Amino acid sequence: MASLKIPENFLYYLSWHEDCSERLLARAGHLRAEDLEVSPHLEVARIKKMVYAVMGEAHRMKAFVRLQPLGTQVLYGFLKPRHRIGEHICDHFARRNAGIIVVLGNGSESWISLCREGKIWQDHGQGLYETLEKLKSALHGREEEETDLQDRDVEGIWQVYYDSQYCPERKNPAAFRRHMPGRDQDSAGLRLVQNKKNATFEDFLRD
Amino acid sequence: MVTLEKIAHLAEECRFDSLGPARSAAVLDVDAKKLSTLGEGTRHDVCASTFSPRETPLPGICHAFTQDGRCVSLFKTLYTNHCTHQCSYCTNAVNCSRKAKAFSYTPEELARITISLYRSNYIEGLFLSSGAGRDEDNVMEKMVETARLLRQKFAFSGYIHLKVLPGASRSHIQEAVELADRVSINLEAASASHMNEICATKNYESDILQRQRYIRDMLSETSHVAQTILPAGQTTQLVVGAAGESDEEIFKRVLYEYKEIGVRRAYYSAFSPQRGTFFENKKAQPLWREHRLYQMDWLYRIYHFQPGEMRHAFNESGFLANADPKMAIAREFMDKPLDPNTASFPELLRVPGIGPRSAERIVAYRKRQPIAAKAELAAMGVRIKRAAPFLKINGWRDTTLKMWQA
Repeated sequence: MASLKIPENFLYYLSWHEDCSERLLARAGHLRAEDLEVSPHLEVARIKKMVYAVMGEAHRMKAFVRLQPLGTQVLYGFLKPRHRIGEHICDHFARRNAGIIVVLGNGSESWISLCREGKIWQDHGQGLYETLEKLKSALHGREEEETDLQDRDVEGIWQVYYDSQYCPERKNPAAFRRHMPGRDQDSAGLRLVQNKKNATFEDFLRD
Repeated sequence: MVTLEKIAHLAEECRFDSLGPARSAAVLDVDAKKLSTLGEGTRHDVCASTFSPRETPLPGICHAFTQDGRCVSLFKTLYTNHCTHQCSYCTNAVNCSRKAKAFSYTPEELARITISLYRSNYIEGLFLSSGAGRDEDNVMEKMVETARLLRQKFAFSGYIHLKVLPGASRSHIQEAVELADRVSINLEAASASHMNEICATKNYESDILQRQRYIRDMLSETSHVAQTILPAGQTTQLVVGAAGESDEEIFKRVLYEYKEIGVRRAYYSAFSPQRGTFFENKKAQPLWREHRLYQMDWLYRIYHFQPGEMRHAFNESGFLANADPKMAIAREFMDKPLDPNTASFPELLRVPGIGPRSAERIVAYRKRQPIAAKAELAAMGVRIKRAAPFLKINGWRDTTLKMWQA
């Protein structure tokens, strides 16, 4: 991730870092992106590292989180990031799926976003399971009627397709692990999705 | 923050918006054998980043990686594996003895799979290639139809990369250009005579180069229009080493592609023999060959090296060594160590271990204070071990160039 350029609004990323304090944020307030790029100062270097850590996690969550439809108006997925980026990631998926409610979360908290006509509406709730239940009743159970329009086994399609892309003569497990760190796979619930045949719905919602 | 009830209410109203969410795009059951056979047909195709410089740029995101470490960002598939060409390296060729059963999608089916995978965040979009089928232009029409369904019926705003088949008509190419983010025609070989050696049924000039020029001309004709078409441009791909061509022959062809055709990028795929094909017993090319060609490509496109200096990376037979070509070029031209405090940006770029980002940082850094130690360069991303022999700081230099000549 070190090849990403520091954006001018890097303070957002810094503020989302799990170890970021009000004090550090205040001290970073006068810095520009260029300072982070070239300053030899130790604290600036630390700030830069923190910004990269958050940008990196945000990028990989946008890549690795998988969504599942609940009826036709809701997409939901597992997310348990290390940094405070839940809302940011949820907004990203809402923009990508305008008009559909996106719910991301885990056993203890959840984020809800809807993008309509370019505007974002958000909520922050308790566990993913509770939020989905509440949402179902708020949608007046219409979700159940429309199951015919739901996708059938998208994961199954994906798995067959994914396996077809592998070139055995190029096998390179080190590169695989470098690009898909286990820690990020866990944060995005990827391994849960992959083992879903052996797991129950409750496993998926546990933290 | 608003309440969940309010969000649910707003979502319900979205049904009546003119540009509401893409509905009824659920996939039907798909034959797993078809999915995997047509998927395997494109596994040697490289698509790299899905970044597309549209008005609001599409990001490049890799959603998964295979065990070979390559990124999976698109639903990359053939439309059909039925083919009438006789390419000696290809498992779909007419004369391949281990041919898979022939499958074909319908445009509707492909569009629905793409939408479903996209919505669940498995992919950024579609990469559609194909065998020639019975009638090549007819297959091209179906491919274009798939892209049209996605864009118009399903309001799909993700990435689309369409392959242009060698026999596609000008009008279908035009439609492909208007619907896709990127189109490409695979050169496969470095020249017409090399093409003859690997495929008897394709004409290099009329099937491939001529169609690349069509696309170039279509883009230049519309360059005055405000709305950009084909934002990610046209690209191409070569099979490396199937016809015994040298790296220099490949590089010269690619230079022509960049200068005359205006391709955005060239991709290289090291030849590996496939069972049942005519080239079954031919030796596989080492993957490093592909890697060294990419390094040359980068030096030309990103570092803006001149072809005249770059030719020193090739040996007398026109091949690259399995070593960083930038180092070979630096040894040829850098006779004096460089002071990073005074060197120009292009000079810095020519030092092994310094890339565009670290060169930019050096220039910004020295405006504030002079560079006094190697550690400062290391903090800016310079790879000291490689760069040190070519640098001097404050008149001091810690190794000599001789060290690298061993």
